[in-house]
Amino acid sequence: MKNIKLSIKHLVFVSVLVAATSLCLTPMDAQAEIKELTIGIGIDADTLLPYDQTTTLMQNMADLIYDSYFFQDPEGKLHPRLATRYEVSDDGLIYTIHLRKGVKFSDGTDFNADAAKQAWDNVLNPKARVPLRFAVGMVKECVKIDDYTIALNLKFAFAPLAPTISMSLVSAISPAALEKYGEKIRQNPVGAGPYILKQWVKGDRIVMARNENYWGKKPTVAQITWKIVPEAATREAMLRAGQIDICYKPLPSNVAALKADPKITVEMPLDTRTIFMGMNYQKGVTTNKKVRQAFNYAVDKKAIVDKILFGTAEPMDGPVSPKVFGYFKMPHQYDYNPEKAKQLLNEAGFDFSKTVNMRTPQGRYLFDKQVSEAIQAYLQAIGVKAELRTYDWPTYIAGLLKPLEESELELFLLGWGPLILDADMGLYGQFTCEVNPPKGLGAAFYCNPEYDRIMKASREEQNPEKRLELLKQASEIVWDDAPWMWLHVEKFVIAYSSKIKGMVVTPTEKFYPQYISMQ
Amino acid sequence: MLNYLIKRLISTIPVLLGISLLLFFMLRMLPGDPAQVLAGQMASPEDIENIRHQLGLDRPIYEQYATYLSRLVRFDLGLSARTQNPVIDEIWARLPNTLLLAVVAIMLACLFGIPAGIISAVRPYSWLDYLVTMSALFGISMPVFWLGLMLVVVFSVVLKWLPAGGTGSWQHVILPSITLAALVIAFIARMTRSTMLETLSQDFTTTARSKGLTEKIVIIKHALRNALIPIITVVGLQFGLLLGGAVLTETVFAWPGLGRLIVDSILARDYPVIQGAILIFGLLYIFVNLVVDFIYAFVDPRIRYD
Repeated sequence: MKNIKLSIKHLVFVSVLVAATSLCLTPMDAQAEIKELTIGIGIDADTLLPYDQTTTLMQNMADLIYDSYFFQDPEGKLHPRLATRYEVSDDGLIYTIHLRKGVKFSDGTDFNADAAKQAWDNVLNPKARVPLRFAVGMVKECVKIDDYTIALNLKFAFAPLAPTISMSLVSAISPAALEKYGEKIRQNPVGAGPYILKQWVKGDRIVMARNENYWGKKPTVAQITWKIVPEAATREAMLRAGQIDICYKPLPSNVAALKADPKITVEMPLDTRTIFMGMNYQKGVTTNKKVRQAFNYAVDKKAIVDKILFGTAEPMDGPVSPKVFGYFKMPHQYDYNPEKAKQLLNEAGFDFSKTVNMRTPQGRYLFDKQVSEAIQAYLQAIGVKAELRTYDWPTYIAGLLKPLEESELELFLLGWGPLILDADMGLYGQFTCEVNPPKGLGAAFYCNPEYDRIMKASREEQNPEKRLELLKQASEIVWDDAPWMWLHVEKFVIAYSSKIKGMVVTPTEKFYPQYISMQ
Repeated sequence: MLNYLIKRLISTIPVLLGISLLLFFMLRMLPGDPAQVLAGQMASPEDIENIRHQLGLDRPIYEQYATYLSRLVRFDLGLSARTQNPVIDEIWARLPNTLLLAVVAIMLACLFGIPAGIISAVRPYSWLDYLVTMSALFGISMPVFWLGLMLVVVFSVVLKWLPAGGTGSWQHVILPSITLAALVIAFIARMTRSTMLETLSQDFTTTARSKGLTEKIVIIKHALRNALIPIITVVGLQFGLLLGGAVLTETVFAWPGLGRLIVDSILARDYPVIQGAILIFGLLYIFVNLVVDFIYAFVDPRIRYD
């Protein structure tokens, strides 16, 4: 009898356990469908038109509304999205892109070659406002082959074109919406992405609702609210108070405290953005290679990263971020060595009575002014007189873009963040003769014909292995010539509720929350 | 009174013209190219030039001003260089928020500042007076940014009573308006105290007391009423400042107001929005001053505008 009673007790216990477990499981399953995700960001969007945008965060939003031809994952691998595949002609001058069939824009119209061509024509139209047009400057024209195939004819061979067209810059926009809204398409985006714009309250929030007709996997998040909170400390407070789920770029100084909070997850993958102190290669005291190398040895980059940036960066050990294709760690490093710096300066016959002019923006990059002040102190420690001037961004960039004859630049702090995971935008976009101001922002005025020849060859080389070899040669040349003080590679910091699982964060400062789950 | 009102309204025209002229040329004297800022640091010179052309910045400056003025008389503030939206839409989206915050803050400031000043003046050099004076000193000295963040930490993060930022409900207004009001309370309390001390020592106050009026009536009806003119002046000026100077509070509390719009526009050299928003501020300031002048007449019957 006792045994029977026990069995009944056991039975009741097991039943209760099963019931409780199912009760617990039900909400867990329900969490797979997330009603709303609130993301705290620092700035409002000026436009959601993909080709009129320069801000990474807004491109991130545009990705969710428009989708892209390919998706470049955090490892740099391309995944087909609105394009299923591409082919390159033998001479590298024609890219044939096969578009996905059966895709509709969120207004119900068809995504096809006509829509894709119209977007390309807009981007290539010299009269249209397309700030990032340079990124596709190698494309001469877009030609429709059939309803679901387009061809891009290039002006010159450009090996990293496929990742380039993964940018939302060239995403297709509904032709019907373009016709309907005209110039107001900037505020009324209609694409083929997983979300549609539901509401935009200027300066306050942008609300996106799931596109129920999305061609791909259904997103788990039904609604995304981008809450505009300019002050990073307030964003953090809101995250801690549970008023937002994701905090975009919290203060570096608080990263350690956020990491210590079990309710919060902090992700900080290495970014593509490199921060450097440019040194004028063609004018002033830094024309001497030994002086430029000496300045590199004079600065303790590790200390800057640890003490000023709170570990939210890593010292550069090559001319581009380790996250890009074509990165190589340089065999010879400019480790902190003030004695060697002094020795090199003496060998170069450096005039210690002269004052070196330094410039820095304020508030553009993480602790930019403080980093520049630290460099000033390091230079002064080896006997170099350095004067630092601070500018707001518009004034600063105007100064950087002056041609050599008008330029007053000696040392200047700047950041450069390639938009795709390829070294070309860094190595070509900063160090070739053709990007010297005013044509580009290669404000160190680095110009080396041998380097240019190798970089041009790297663009034409379709074989990845051979291209890597060329990029390595170019990296070694510029690293040795040292037109920059190679400072650090920033990390992209994002903090979110630890309930969130499955967030995709990329080194191009983007994140994709559409398939997350909540636990 | 009507004549005075018409004269004042007509006088706003040259004031606004003056603001528009000064602002237009001062902005263009600033270093930095709006086209370059809009294009981003990677843009080609051709694209920058293209944007400059689209914004009309490649035309002679007097021609730009003439175009701007001809639009202005038609109440057209132009398009934002950044968003390509009409400037008036950009301003209109934020103006109600700015007004709401400023009105609530000034009401709070009057509600606490005037009684605090009166109490302080009625009991001079008492512990109450010292408390008010010290609190006022604290209010004036406290950085708005710090106070705002402290309120967020206490009421949002720890107690979880109020939202840390944004708009949407009456709860959202509480913390930013307290932050904004703190400084103004201090100003009003100090002004009320000093003017009340003066009126309380006047002969008419002694006469009122000698007539056997209660202390409450002496203070409220006689002393305070006579002390109101400078207090109203301070309130009017502070209200004007609150309209345009709430940038820090707006930033801390993610409050989408005009101050933040102006700062963002300055950083982006978005000339049309800066010009439009500052003109609107000018208009508001003129209007507040006009209202203050009429309140003078209401408070003090000796003041007439005929």
